Amino acid sequence: MIKGLYSAVSAMVMNATRQQAISHNIANIQTPGFKQVLTTVQGFMQDQPVYTSGNLQSTIIEYVGNLGLGSQIGQEYVDYGQGAMQKTDNPLDLAFQGNGFFTVQTPDGNRYTRDGRFLRDAENNLVTVDGYQVLDDAGQPIQLPDGEISVAYDGAITVNGEAVATLGIGVFADPAAELQHTEGNLFTGPAASTGDEVPQVVQGVLEFSNANPSQLMTQLVEVGRSYEAAQKLVQNQDELLGKTIASLGRIG
Amino acid sequence: MASSLFQTLNISRQDIISHLLDLDVTSSNLANVNTAGYKTTRSNFQEMLNEQMKEGTLLRSTQAITTQGTIRTSTNSLDWAIQGEGYFSVTLPDGTIGYTRDGQFALDADLNLVNASGYPLVWDGTIEEGMTNISVSSTGVVTATDAEGVTAEVGTVQLTRFPNPGGLTDNGNNILLESDISGVAQTGDPGSENFGTLSGYHVENSNIDLAQEMTHLITLQRALSMSLRAFQQTDTMIAEAINLRKA
Repeated sequence: MIKGLYSAVSAMVMNATRQQAISHNIANIQTPGFKQVLTTVQGFMQDQPVYTSGNLQSTIIEYVGNLGLGSQIGQEYVDYGQGAMQKTDNPLDLAFQGNGFFTVQTPDGNRYTRDGRFLRDAENNLVTVDGYQVLDDAGQPIQLPDGEISVAYDGAITVNGEAVATLGIGVFADPAAELQHTEGNLFTGPAASTGDEVPQVVQGVLEFSNANPSQLMTQLVEVGRSYEAAQKLVQNQDELLGKTIASLGRIG
Repeated sequence: MASSLFQTLNISRQDIISHLLDLDVTSSNLANVNTAGYKTTRSNFQEMLNEQMKEGTLLRSTQAITTQGTIRTSTNSLDWAIQGEGYFSVTLPDGTIGYTRDGQFALDADLNLVNASGYPLVWDGTIEEGMTNISVSSTGVVTATDAEGVTAEVGTVQLTRFPNPGGLTDNGNNILLESDISGVAQTGDPGSENFGTLSGYHVENSNIDLAQEMTHLITLQRALSMSLRAFQQTDTMIAEAINLRKA
C-alpha cells in the first residue's frame, strides 16, 4: 500500500523535472545556436514481493515476480541536430551548415558554440554577444582591421579582400558523447577536433533553436496529464490507506 | 537532481518578460520603417544555465544591425545620403556631438545647415546670404552658387565611423551617441578608405524589412503564447500538488 503511494509520488517528481526541461526549451525557442535538452525516464528500483499463505505456521515463501517502485528521471542529453537557418544579411552573423562548432574563450577556458552572433567590439576584437573572444585556428583571439568583412565557407576571414585569420572550428564525430553542456549555449569538449567532416560556414545567416514547437507542445500536454494522473493515483492510494486504517480490524 | 516547480514558473516568467521587451523592440522597428537612415534593432536572447540548473532565457542585449539601407532619389539638393560606412555629426543643444545617417538637411534662418530636429551639421565652411544650389560631391566637397551666379566651393563635410557602430547609444530622434561599446570615433573624408561616399538628391531608407519584421512579430507572438501556456501548466501542477490531500 505504502509502496504504491511512493510510486505515484515518484512520477510527480519526475514530471516536475521534465516540465522544467520543456519550459527551458520553450524559453530558448528564439535563441540562435540553442540545442534542445532532452530528458529520459526510467524505472526506479524493483522490489520482489513475496507470497505467503495465510497460515502463520507455513514457512513456504513464494516470489511472485518483480514490482516496480515508480519512475525517475534518467540521463539528460542534448540534441545536437541542426536547427532552422534564418537569413539576416548581417556580415557578422555566422552559422554552420552541418557539423562544426566555433571556439570561444571564456574566463573558465575554451568553449564550443554553434551561436554565431558575432560582433566587432570597441577594440576591434571579434567577440560573441556575451563578449567572449572568438578564437582562430591557432587558438588566438581574432583582431579585425577596419573594413568590410567576408567569411568563406572554410572559415577564412578576409577584410577588404585581405586574409586576416581562419576561424577555429571544432568538428566532433559524436558531439553527444564528447561535449558537455556547461554554460548557456556553450559546450566543453576535447581540445582538438575528432571528426573528419569538412565544416561549412555560412555568412549572413543564423541557425535557430532545433526545438520543434509542435513537439514541445505535445510534450507539454503529455507531462501535464501524466502529472495529473500521478496526482490522482496518490489520492487514490491515500483513500485506500484511509479505508484500511479505518475499517480493517473493526469489529462489528 | 530535484527541481522545484516554482523554479520552473520563474523560467516562464523570465521568458514572458523577455518576449515583451522584444515586442517593444519590434514595435519600434515597425514604427521606423519610413525613417531615413534608421537601422533595425535586434533582440539577442541567450540561454541561461547555471551550474547545470536550467534557468531559461535572458534578453542579453539589443543590437543595431548596421547594414546599408536602400537609397532613393529626392528633389532636394540638401538631401545627402551616405553609401557605405560613416555618420554625419550634428551638434546637440547641450553641445555634445550626435551622429546620424539621416542626411536630410535644410538651411535655417541663420544660414546653418540643420537636420530635421534643427541640430546644426558639423562641417567646415559657411553659407553666405543669397547662395543657392548648395550641393555636395561624393567626396564631401560642398559647392554653392552665389548671388552673382558664380559657383564655387564653400566647404567640406567629413564623416565619422566607429569600430562597432551597432554599439552606439540611441539618443532618440534618429541621433546616436558614442559609447564604450561603439569604440572611439574616427573622422575621415567621404570616399577615403573605409568611409562611404555622399550623394546629393538622395535619401537612405531605413534598412528595416517590413516582411521580416512582420514575420518576427508572428513568431514572437507564438513564442509568447507558448511560454504563457507553459506558465499556466506549471501553475496547474503546483495547484495539483497542493491539493494532493483531499479534504
